[in-house]
Amino acid sequence: MFDFVIAGIHAPIFLLVLTGFTVGIVGGFIGVGGGYMVTPALIVFGFPGYMASGIDATHIAGKAVISSIRHRQLGNIDWTLALTMVGGTMLGVELGVRLLNYTKKLGIAGVVLLACSVVVMFFLFLYTQIETRRAHKKIEEVADAGQDVGRELKTSTLHYFFQRIPLYPIVRCRTARVVVSMWVVVLIGIATGLLAGFLGVGGGFIRVPSLVYLIGATTHISVGTDLVEIVVSGGYGALRQSMSGNVDMMAVLFMIVGAMIGAQFGSIATAYVRGPAIRYILSYSLILATTGALLRLLYVLTGQKIEFLSFFAVVFTLGEMLFLCLFIVSLVVFSVRHKQGKRVPPWVPPLVVAAD
Amino acid sequence: MRWFIDSMLGYWILLLAISMGTAAAVYLLWLKQAAFSG
Repeated sequence: MFDFVIAGIHAPIFLLVLTGFTVGIVGGFIGVGGGYMVTPALIVFGFPGYMASGIDATHIAGKAVISSIRHRQLGNIDWTLALTMVGGTMLGVELGVRLLNYTKKLGIAGVVLLACSVVVMFFLFLYTQIETRRAHKKIEEVADAGQDVGRELKTSTLHYFFQRIPLYPIVRCRTARVVVSMWVVVLIGIATGLLAGFLGVGGGFIRVPSLVYLIGATTHISVGTDLVEIVVSGGYGALRQSMSGNVDMMAVLFMIVGAMIGAQFGSIATAYVRGPAIRYILSYSLILATTGALLRLLYVLTGQKIEFLSFFAVVFTLGEMLFLCLFIVSLVVFSVRHKQGKRVPPWVPPLVVAAD
Repeated sequence: MRWFIDSMLGYWILLLAISMGTAAAVYLLWLKQAAFSG
């Protein structure tokens, strides 16, 4: 009753809406997608791999347009940096889609996508853990020295090396206050575009850290500029995936409905919950999603005979989404209670925004 | 029972149990029959 058929698979609508909602909350709160969770989740839920990648790419394109308009109003986009990267991004997306279609032809798209997602999500888990701990340590050091903790906190000097590479032409990015070789920017575009085209993701989880650590742009400029690239990679990727027959528009529609509601809620939640709290939640939900994708990969590699692997893959993937949503919703409820002066658990106050 | 609310670790465990339990119930009671069939 509440499902429809995509590529021969009965797809329950609520799974698509919940997937969209979870990614929407993460995107609305952190500003950077969460699309890397979608492709493996859809494969775990039984979608063919190429279809999961196509659906993911198409729903991301729509979301990025809205977010870029908002970031443009805030002055967070460096157009020189964005336009320099566009060529590389499109080339990367084209290579990624061709690679996906090649694996589809060989009949191994699902396995390859799952394996890549497991690696990407595990490294993201490690990165989020290390980065959050490092930032906390730095904040404590700055605070102990009696200095003011500004909006931006530099914890790496790697960008100085890349800014000194003397390969012409050199681009001067005024908004980002960066002078760097065009080839460094183009190469970042190709690498992230390749991931975007193949996995169907926006690529922000790689592009934003690359812009911050390799180019030396500030985080808010990196997020704004990244969204312009996602409009390009998502739009071009959606077009190419549609041409290859990898997209089901009904599935995209239900995911966008969920993502719209989730993004609204995520934006509202930023007024109640502090950023580090969400980063920790996201980090731990990533390890659950990785486990789900890994179990599904093992299920496929063992000839789809060991039924409990499929069962636990769904339990971990669906459970991770419910966990993420429940935690954010409950933190918002605790924050409201805290503002009203009602009793909250002792661990809540440092994670929520203080009363007005 | 109070520990599951007052301790952050306890709260994580509680939410995790609720989420995974719900996911398992949804799979066994509905998805197994309704979905994943060709």
